[in-house]
Amino acid sequence: SSNCGSASCKVGDLEQATSTSPLISSEQIEQLHRRFKQLSGDQPTIRKENFNNVPDLELNPIRSKIVRAFFDNRNLRKGPSGLADEINFEDFLTIMSYFRPIDTTMGEEQVELSRKEKLRFLFHMYDSDSDGRITLEEYRNVVEELLSGNPHIEKESARSIADGAMMEAASVCVGQMEPDQVYEGITFEDFLKIWQGIDIETKMHVRFLNMETIALCH
Amino acid sequence: MEGADLAGKLLSPWLVLVLGLILLPSALGVNLGVSEIYLKVLVKTLQWATIRIEKGGRKESILNSASVGIIERDESPMEKGLSGLRGRDFELSDVFYFSKKGLEAIVEDEVTQRFSSEELVSWNLLTRTNINFHYISLRLTTVWVLGVLVRYCILLPLRVTLAFIGISLLVVGTTLVGQLPDSSLRNRLSELVHLTCCRICVRAFSGTIHYHNKQYRPQKGGICVANHTSPIDVLILTTDGCYTMVGQVHGGLLGIMQRAMVKSCPHVWFERSEMKDRHLVTKRLKEHIADKKKLPILIFPEGTCINNTSVMMFKKGSFEIGGTIHPVAIKYNPQFGDAFWNSSKYSMVSHLLRMMTSWAIVCDVWYLPPMTREEGEDAVQFANRVKSAIAIQGGLTELPWDGGLKRAKVKDTFKEEQQKNYSKMIVGNGSLNAKSD
Repeated sequence: SSNCGSASCKVGDLEQATSTSPLISSEQIEQLHRRFKQLSGDQPTIRKENFNNVPDLELNPIRSKIVRAFFDNRNLRKGPSGLADEINFEDFLTIMSYFRPIDTTMGEEQVELSRKEKLRFLFHMYDSDSDGRITLEEYRNVVEELLSGNPHIEKESARSIADGAMMEAASVCVGQMEPDQVYEGITFEDFLKIWQGIDIETKMHVRFLNMETIALCH
Repeated sequence: MEGADLAGKLLSPWLVLVLGLILLPSALGVNLGVSEIYLKVLVKTLQWATIRIEKGGRKESILNSASVGIIERDESPMEKGLSGLRGRDFELSDVFYFSKKGLEAIVEDEVTQRFSSEELVSWNLLTRTNINFHYISLRLTTVWVLGVLVRYCILLPLRVTLAFIGISLLVVGTTLVGQLPDSSLRNRLSELVHLTCCRICVRAFSGTIHYHNKQYRPQKGGICVANHTSPIDVLILTTDGCYTMVGQVHGGLLGIMQRAMVKSCPHVWFERSEMKDRHLVTKRLKEHIADKKKLPILIFPEGTCINNTSVMMFKKGSFEIGGTIHPVAIKYNPQFGDAFWNSSKYSMVSHLLRMMTSWAIVCDVWYLPPMTREEGEDAVQFANRVKSAIAIQGGLTELPWDGGLKRAKVKDTFKEEQQKNYSKMIVGNGSLNAKSD
């Protein structure tokens, strides 16, 4: 990782970055770099506050969770828990790579790996205390964030929705439970079980425009 | 002594040239055709440069139009994106949709990109636009160096002289005309002074303006609204007709010009404190247009400069005054020079200097048919209708966002809209979908 702004550093930055995400062209990386600079105010790193300048993002109900995901050490592959204070361009690309479209021409193993990575990203978003389980509290927290804008819904309603969904998850993962059995929380394996056979490919990717198509139209 | 002599000798033929070739024709409204020739040469040079860049550059770096966007955005509304109907149950996967939308916004948000200059498809031989083009050949670099010399050593002094002359003439002329008693002669002279000085100032930017649909030019007693890119917009419009300007009183050179101009022609200048009182502003403007003999008012409803690729929210204040609205669309050609004033990056003076060191300012002005507020239409809807008309004519995209976002944050009420919509989908209006196990 680099912390300087000179041209040679920039090239090194980009080359290093390309090695971590080979499915994206150097042209697209340059554009992302420019966007990174715009967000960071020409600094080499981005902090949480820099995301305040994106009006489109302000409308998103889970905005704080998304921004947090960028600094989550688990997503950045820097540790099992905790948040980084700031991220550089390579980290930015690492997070972006979770939203790469799944290339169906890759081998089945690769596709499975890709899918797992995306689901793990989502799991981390729910599991805010990094203990490896999505507890009822954490689930409720997400539902509340999504629904809190509606004045007709009281907190109780949001809770019941979360509770209901949690029960459903428990039944999928553990099967029939004894009356006094406590369901600790959704582990990552349980999480994967819930998603088995369900197509997430179309929902969780951001596709880059193909530059050649633009060239032909011009 | 000798130095002054020499300076005088150098300066006088220079001034004679300026007078003969530029000032006189401006006063008479005659076009000698010098700018056309200049532009033709310029266009040929830039075309040659583009071909050389295409030949020499990598295949991928040919086209890089940031206005098209780098990612394919999912424009489907929330309902479709979540693939559900009203009253569906909450699903874990709903978070997918929002996180994708969030990432799209982070990678490319359509609002903040309007507050920085438009990126060019091909380099136009100006250093300032050379962000992603690399060294190609010696010939190209030589042409670029020549360009720098021409722009900074020949064109810039000429343009600064012209601007100086134009502004002084304006101040002196309007003050003199202001001494005359109120009559039609005075109005005609005032128009002549305004038009001449504007033409001189436009030449100070090597401006070439094409006016379309002149039959719809704003009439007396109406309000002219246009999209805003730069302080030059005022100059562009006043070269083809006289308007009453509306604005805040400034200090410095601008203040001097304002005070002089108002002597010969009733412009509407507000003190800073008066601007805050919307009723006062509306009242004064209403009084102005009630007098059918007064010149049309010129207003920029966006309230701030946008980069000429889109039109942002029109503030409804101008549309509550009543009267006929004459929309005007202004589109600059970015190939010859960037007209956008990025007020957070450059001061007004450095912006004007940057314009004077570009190749030229080339723009199209379309006058649109007049519009009035229809029955049952409120000011906001009317404003949007006018905005659409301008956007369509100028080939600009339309955005509902407020230009004020350049400096301010999104209002909380706006943010909560999205959450309200989602929660309505899940829960309906207060009723619950109980999950049974």
